Parts: sequence; C-alpha cells; structure tokens
Amino acid sequence: MSADTTAEEAATATVDDEISPDDGILAVDGLRKEFGGLVAVDDLSFAVQEQEILGFIGPNGAGKSTTFNCVTGTYPPTAGTVWYKGEEVTGTPPHEMVKRGMARTFQSFAPLEDRSVLKNVALSMMNDNLVTMDGLLGEFHEEARAICERVGLGDRLHQTPAELPHAGMLRLELGRALGTDPDLLLVDEPFAGLSGPEVESVSDLLLELRDEGMTLVVVDHNMRGLLQLIDRAIVINFGSLLAEGSPDEITNNPEVQEAYLGGGLE
Amino acid sequence: MTDNSKSRLRLLLGQLNPLGLPLRQKIGVFGLAFLIALPLLVSLPVVGQFVVMILPASSWELGLYNVAAALFFAMFAMSWDAVSGYTGEISFGHGLFFAVGGYTSAMLNMGHGLSPWVSVLGGVLLAAVAGVMIGVPALRVEGPYLSLVTLVAPLILLQLFIFMSDIFGGEQGLSNPENLVGLGFVSNYFLALGLFVAVFALLWALTRSNTGSILTAIREDEDAVSAAGLSKAKFKIFAFVLSGAIGGLAGAVYVHTPVGSPTPSELMSVIVNVEVIIAAVLGGMGTIVGAAVGGLFVAMLPDYLNLVEFTVPVIGKSISEMSFFLFAIVTLFLLNIFPGGVLRWGIALGRRATGRDGGKEGMAADGGQSPEDTGTNPVAQTMERYQEYYDNMFGGDDE
Repeated sequence: MSADTTAEEAATATVDDEISPDDGILAVDGLRKEFGGLVAVDDLSFAVQEQEILGFIGPNGAGKSTTFNCVTGTYPPTAGTVWYKGEEVTGTPPHEMVKRGMARTFQSFAPLEDRSVLKNVALSMMNDNLVTMDGLLGEFHEEARAICERVGLGDRLHQTPAELPHAGMLRLELGRALGTDPDLLLVDEPFAGLSGPEVESVSDLLLELRDEGMTLVVVDHNMRGLLQLIDRAIVINFGSLLAEGSPDEITNNPEVQEAYLGGGLE
Repeated sequence: MTDNSKSRLRLLLGQLNPLGLPLRQKIGVFGLAFLIALPLLVSLPVVGQFVVMILPASSWELGLYNVAAALFFAMFAMSWDAVSGYTGEISFGHGLFFAVGGYTSAMLNMGHGLSPWVSVLGGVLLAAVAGVMIGVPALRVEGPYLSLVTLVAPLILLQLFIFMSDIFGGEQGLSNPENLVGLGFVSNYFLALGLFVAVFALLWALTRSNTGSILTAIREDEDAVSAAGLSKAKFKIFAFVLSGAIGGLAGAVYVHTPVGSPTPSELMSVIVNVEVIIAAVLGGMGTIVGAAVGGLFVAMLPDYLNLVEFTVPVIGKSISEMSFFLFAIVTLFLLNIFPGGVLRWGIALGRRATGRDGGKEGMAADGGQSPEDTGTNPVAQTMERYQEYYDNMFGGDDE
C-alpha cells in the first residue's frame, strides 16, 4: 500500500499548494471552465516542467480537451490563471500562443485539404507580415521539406492530406506543429488508431524532440503506449485533478483504477 | 544590398523572362502585348481591318471605349476575387466600394474643385475606410451572415443617395466629372489599360506570395491558420481593405473617363454586384487571372451580342434585343460545365496536351495551390463553408 499513499500524497500536495508563475514552463492555477450550467473544468492546477514529457490522462469527457483549449486560448477560461514561460497568458488568442512557442496537434486532424503535405507544413513556417516577397520564390520549401522528412512524410511531400493513411495524418499534424518552432508541444491523442510499430516510431520521434530541448504534454484517455514514453502523469476526472505522479504511481492508484472501472489501464 | 537579396532579385527577374515562362503565362503575356498594341494595330492597313472586326463595336473608336470599359469591369472583378475568391467570405455587394470610390472622387472634383488626379486618391481612401467597415464586422459575422451584410450595405447607400438626391443625384446619379485624360479614344484606352496592368501586377504578386497562401488557408480552415501562429483577423481585415481600396480606385478612375459616370446603375446596382461575382467565378475563383479574363469576357459578351443582326425567326426578336438574356444563359451554361472556372480547366487541358506534370514547375501557381494538386476547388470549399454555418444555425454539433 505504500505506493498508493505516496501517490495520494503527491496528489494532495499539488491541490493544496498554490501554483506560482515560475513553477514550470507552463503553470495553471485554479482553472475553471463552465459551459452554461456545466462545469467542464473545476479548479484545476498543475505545472509542466521544462523538457519533461507529461502525460495528461483522464477518461472520455474528463475535461482534457477543454483544459487544453483554455490553455491554448481557443476558449477564455471562466476563472483561473495560466502562465507560460513565467508570463501571464490567460485568454491570449491561439495564434499569439503559437507565436510565443506553444504548438498543438488536433485530435480530429485539421490539415488544409486543398494543398500538399509540403505546403501544409510551409504554412506553419510563415510569419504574418501582410506584404511580403516571401513565397514568390518558394524558399520556405527547403525547411518545410526537412520537417516533413523528420516526421516520416519525406516520400509523401506532394500528396494531399486526403491521400494519407491515418498514421500519416498524425505525422502531418506533428509536422504542422513543428513548423511553428515550438518550445512546448501539446499532442492530443497521438496513439489513437495506430498499430504497435507506429506507436513505437511516433514515441521515438517525441523522445527525440524532448532530447533536443522540447517540452511535451501528451493527452490521452488511456495509457496504452504512454507508460514507456512519459516521465510523469496527471490524471483528471470530472474536470478536477485525481492523481499526479510517475507512471507506476498512477497505475497503482486505486482512485485512478476506480475512475477507469478497472478496464482502462491495459 | 546583401549577396542574398541580390541573388533573390536575380531569381525573381529570371522568372520574369518571357521565354522561361510556362505556356499559360506565355499566353497571358501575349494577350497583354496584344492589348497594348491594339490602338496601333487598328491603324495598320490590312491587319487593321481584321482587328476592327474582332473588336466589340462597329468602329475602332467605339471598340476602344468598350474594351476600356471592360478593363474597368475586370478590375472590379479582380478586387472581388482578392477578398471573396481568396478568403471565401462572399461579398454580394462589392458595388459599395466602386460607388464609394467613384462618388467620392466625382464630388471632390465637382463640388470642391479638386483636380481629378487628387480626388481619385480621396475616393481610394474612403473606399479603404469602407473596407474596414465591412472587414471588422466580418470577424464576428461570418459566412451567410456576412454575405447578408454585404448585400444590404449597398442598398442602404442607394437609399441614402435617393432620399438625399439633391446631393447624390438619386437614381440618375451625378453628372460627369472632369476627365483625367480628356476625351481621346486612345489616351483613355491606355489609362484603363495602365491601371488594369498595375492592379493586376499588385494583386498577382500579393496572392502568389505567402499572403496568398494564408488567405486561401482562411478559406479552407480558419483554425488551421490560428494553429500556424497566424492572425486570421489581421489577414481578413487586410483583404477587405485591399479589395475596397482597389475597387474604389477602379471606380474613381472609371468616373473620370468618358466610358463611365457616377451613377448607381453603373457602379452599385444589383446587376453589377452579381456580374462581378459571375465574372470571377466563371474565370476561376481565387486566381486573380481568372477574374481578369472573366471580367473582360463578361463585360464584352453583351457588346458582341449587340452586334449580331440576326432575328430569331419564330419569336421575331433580334439577338441584340435579347443580349442580356442570352448573356445570362451563356454564363449559366459555362458555370455548369466549368465549376472550377475556365482558367483551371484550360490549364489542366494544356498540361494534359503538352504532357507536362504541374508539380515540376516549382513555383506555387495560385497562391499556394495549383489546380492539379487540389482535390477541392474554391467554389466547393466555399459551399462547404456555408454548409457548415447552416448546419450550426439549425443546432448542428460543433464537435
């Protein structure tokens, strides 16, 4: 039972402690999001350390996506504060967050269907000057090509997103996110629908990015494929923090097991 | 100048070398050269006879006027394409900008005695302000709602013109302001052509740069634009202001030529608003070139039909009497067989004929999309966009 107590201690410790701006590259304090009468995220506080791979876990409908939509500026939170790199960024619009170095992938995949893989990635690399000579000569394509090769789409540069297999779409999401040159990358459900070897190769890519100095937050509703990858996990349920700790601590936590009815932690 | 920017300049200049151009651009350069040489060609002996025959009028003087008017209309269509063709926010009332530009310049010239060269700038400025006034709401109201706003805005302006007819001349419009370059057929033709080339060059370069890619990305998926760290608000307002200013410029110069005058029917009637859309979509939405070609076609087709002295036997009406009716039929037919626009169809056909692969041309053709690697054309994209809004309107699910 000792593992359980440490996990609970870790969990309670964070709930009680106030999060301050310098607790990590990303610090979230007392985040709350209501939709009408529904409380999707309820007083959630956590911090992400630089260069860690954090698993952000919870059953379906736990509020994971809403949390990240609040952090990335898609929705303004009802209450609470978000700090990124020590600066307050609560309610900053999504494109500003991207410019500050926070990128995300979309679980539902949101590529531009009307252009090639290469041009999808190239869009992420553009800066937002209104009048520019850039692009008239196609000089972005070299860097965009390098990113495509990195995420494993080197041989599919000129295909459209519709021609990609499921795993290719995920790789494209990663490529588009990497194109913005992020310091923190939020990856939403990367392993859903991937085969074993695909999970492994995506994991290798994420580990490689971390080794180069990137911080990663991986959102998922189960832990398949996640345990080997992450350094630490945060588990939420019904919009609030349930547990926090190392992968081992999380899997042995009875409350987490309860939340998943024993079935989610393969 | 650094070495890097020097080599970039050389690359850019190299791309302007007509011999190195792809076939479709060679055709464009040839077409432009023909337009430039046109006034000279009509004065040549045998060639002149032939050229007058293909002009949309019975004499070369009127022909030049009609072509000049068509060039202005092509500018209107290009200004529409720059915002609606690229961002997918369809404006049903672009005449607002033409009218604001034209009326402002005419009134500054006639009422305050400003030289038309100066008053035109006033028209451009106020049309750009009108662009802000439509562009800022466009951030909140989107899709069909925005279209409704753009549909109503010129109607409000028209009502203003009517009930304050002592100032704006009501439905008759204003009398002709001073001309920029007098009444000369050739000088006015070159004025129109020069402005057409300038507007075309500006819009072409802008839409082929990254700006064009970003605008078409807004049309395809706004969230993806934000996720790329780009401010969709900034680019949308920019597109409206740019389009408004260029539409206003064309409208302002138009009223200071003998081919146009500041009247609601020429600048802002429902027919003008719709014809501009037809021209751009028919030519190829979101390409600028398509709007230019489509604009010339749509403006000159009725002129050509007017020349036909044939009477349809059974109903006893001549072709010229039914010219607008026939024009509508022809455009409807063309829109059906070329939903992506005549330009895209032509390019695809040309590539198939010359057996070349579009991907090898290197440069992005249409602001980041070339007709062959698109699974979806802009018209389909815009329809999809509107479908989404309608779904949401009737309680559809966002997720």
